[in-house]
Amino acid sequence: MAYQLDPYIIIRYLPLFLKGVFLTVEISFLAILIGLPIGILAAVARTSRLKILNLAGAIYVEVFRNTPLLIQIFIIFFGLPGLGVKLSPYISGLTALVLYVGAYNTEVIRAGLEAVPRGQIEAAKSLGLTGVQTFLHVILPQTFRISLPALGNNWVALVKNSSLVSVIGMVELTWVTFDLNALTFRSFELFGAATIFYLLLIFILINILAFVEKRFAYKT
Amino acid sequence: MNFDLEVIAQNLPYLLSGVKFTIALACLVIVLGTILGIILGLSKLSKNLLIRYPASFVVEITRDTPILMQMFFIFFGLPALGIRLKTFPSAALAMSLFAAGNAAEIVRGAIESLPTGQFDAARSLGMNYLQTMVYVILPQALRRMIPPAMGLFTTLIKDTSLAAIIGAFELTRAGQEIIERTFHSLEIYLVIAAIYFIICYPLSYYTRKGEKQRVMGF
Repeated sequence: MAYQLDPYIIIRYLPLFLKGVFLTVEISFLAILIGLPIGILAAVARTSRLKILNLAGAIYVEVFRNTPLLIQIFIIFFGLPGLGVKLSPYISGLTALVLYVGAYNTEVIRAGLEAVPRGQIEAAKSLGLTGVQTFLHVILPQTFRISLPALGNNWVALVKNSSLVSVIGMVELTWVTFDLNALTFRSFELFGAATIFYLLLIFILINILAFVEKRFAYKT
Repeated sequence: MNFDLEVIAQNLPYLLSGVKFTIALACLVIVLGTILGIILGLSKLSKNLLIRYPASFVVEITRDTPILMQMFFIFFGLPALGIRLKTFPSAALAMSLFAAGNAAEIVRGAIESLPTGQFDAARSLGMNYLQTMVYVILPQALRRMIPPAMGLFTTLIKDTSLAAIIGAFELTRAGQEIIERTFHSLEIYLVIAAIYFIICYPLSYYTRKGEKQRVMGF
């Protein structure tokens, strides 16, 4: 029995696909947004002279970077109810993605913080800026500029990793594809189409990042 | 709820039997991915368009789509073309392609970061392409490839957990089976996380050390 390709299946189910794409975009965008301040805070902790803050930052980064995201999602969604913490699939998935990307952001931002020349801090101090002002107006903008390419890599990985939240039932692109597959058995077309949707999303993100990097690049 | 240590002790041997498959899968993927990745990476640097474009195409597809999607495509989608693979080979194939695409970029990046004078010098000594690569370029490029490659290998070991989603038996799947029997999700998943951590932490520690040395060394 030969398998007849049916490309129209994609057009027939396009509205469902697009719903999935929107949720993938939504959750990725939220995780990027929330993951950034978490990365900044943890990076500040990591570079702090306070031993206890430093250690807490290090533990956070190492635990989340050295265990699979899938297991983190499972622990939050299936494990935490055992401790009385019940979260919806949406909140569980988003929390896991935020904590995961936050840990990767931390390392990138820490490297960025350390790459800002010391003279900048001394100059800010001699202008009479307080510690907080120095950080917000002098160090952070430069750190962001230095870290942007590596942050971009984290964000691209995040969009791809967002496919994992389908396993706890969040109705994003991968889940929609899986569900349609169970309904129609048109695996080749459906997973092919989903692959193209992801390629498009990543392609758009990479181009936005390239544009922003160009805008913020050091002029030589 | 009470944290049940006994359930961990009872099921640890079964989890460890899953670890064997996780390590086997990871090793297979790392070896296949590295070999394929070097071939793809060198192809991407080729002056021949017929070699460069297909290689770039494969690299982009494998790098810019979720590895889970690639696994689904190979496991559920390929049977449509008459290619039927079991769960473990499907996972191994999908992950090897993903590894190859990423390794290719590491290889290409490392080679392109070398000064072009190295190529010119080798050529002016009368070396052909193969000799230039084997004796001059690759030994130098290798030093620069090791830290990012270690990072990639860590990611691959973590990503072997995705094989459980299509039902291949490894650590995560072993844990899921135990949870289906005992309903102790938290304990089992925490132990699984700890096992992955024990495997991955030395690698990522070494990666960071290597990156620092590279900054000093070059």
